[in-house]
Amino acid sequence: MPQLNPEFFVSQLFWLVVTFSFLLVFLWRISLPRISNILEKRERKINEDLTAAKELQSEAENIQDKIEQQLKQARSDASELIKSSSASFQDKAQNEITKLEKELDEKITDSSNKIEKIKNESLNQIQSQINEITKLTLSKVTSFEVTDDEIKNAVQNLERSLN
Amino acid sequence: MAAKGEKHSPLEQFEIIPFTRTEIGGYDISFTNSSLSMIITVAVITLFLTLTVNPRSLVPTRMQLISELMYNFVAQLLSDTVGDNGKKYFPFVFSLFMFVLIGNMVGMVPYQFTFTSHIIVTFALASVVFIGVTILGFVNHGIKFFTFFYIPGVPFYMHPLLIPIEVISYLSRPISLSVRLFANMLAGHTLLKVFAGFVVAMPFFTGALPLVFIVALTGLEILIAFLQAYVFAILTCLYINDAYHLH
Repeated sequence: MPQLNPEFFVSQLFWLVVTFSFLLVFLWRISLPRISNILEKRERKINEDLTAAKELQSEAENIQDKIEQQLKQARSDASELIKSSSASFQDKAQNEITKLEKELDEKITDSSNKIEKIKNESLNQIQSQINEITKLTLSKVTSFEVTDDEIKNAVQNLERSLN
Repeated sequence: MAAKGEKHSPLEQFEIIPFTRTEIGGYDISFTNSSLSMIITVAVITLFLTLTVNPRSLVPTRMQLISELMYNFVAQLLSDTVGDNGKKYFPFVFSLFMFVLIGNMVGMVPYQFTFTSHIIVTFALASVVFIGVTILGFVNHGIKFFTFFYIPGVPFYMHPLLIPIEVISYLSRPISLSVRLFANMLAGHTLLKVFAGFVVAMPFFTGALPLVFIVALTGLEILIAFLQAYVFAILTCLYINDAYHLH
């Protein structure tokens, strides 16, 4: 078996020491630090990204909360505004209506007073004209001299009997 | 087979062929096929780990992923067995794992020499581990390291039997570690060579049958090449762990 031939033992040991030492030093000083750097960098990057994502998420949730609060506030504000404005409008309308009614009432009483006055005046006029006409008619048709009082009485009697 | 003579022995592949005959201070340092395959192994490892890894890339390429996987594989192995204490030994364990793994794999290439099939090489590697771990044990625990051979919770009359057994098992660690790798490589390559001899020796059509076996066995050998490197690395980790945690 060539393995048990000691002829090349020293040579093999020498080259083993040379090659393995070189490999050990090269890997230890150059290759492994490079790979571990890469792995650490990647780990760090992933962690950073994860924390950043978490922060952004909480920020987004805060913003959402704020938006919801603002919406709520806006809704309640709007409903309050509607309530208050409609109440004030109703008040105004009520005031306007009562004012109008008062004015109308005044105008109605005014007019009815005027009408009453005119009616009385006309009635009086009619009365005097009736008297006048009666007096004229009587003086033209007959020769009776009738006084105003007599005519008035007669007319009143007539009216009474008509009524 | 025997009829073809010594030239075609299945062990011929393990023959060391010197390319130069060099001596320094009376020591032979001839450059041989074994040395060449060690240099190829180291070149493959260093070039692969250097060329595939781009330090600025956050997202790895496929080749870089292989390097990172190997890194993580050994790092995981070490942290599982030794824990945080093991970080200092990572470069050594990683180098050892890669050296044995790629050495085995280079040996799987046809016409390439397999230096891990030489007991002197595996024994030297195992001795480095053994001596290093023993020194580590004495550095960590001083004279108390000898209590490693004392198993607590055993009836006192068993100790005269158990302590020698523990000592022998401790001292045989470099032998078991080196012979395991050496024997696996030797047996695998010999088997392949024997079947290759059948392909040539058997009559025309029947030669295809051992060829199929060779294909299957090559797959098995690649598995063993990985497995033995893994075993070598994990046992090194366990020995390092023993140097920290006595019974």
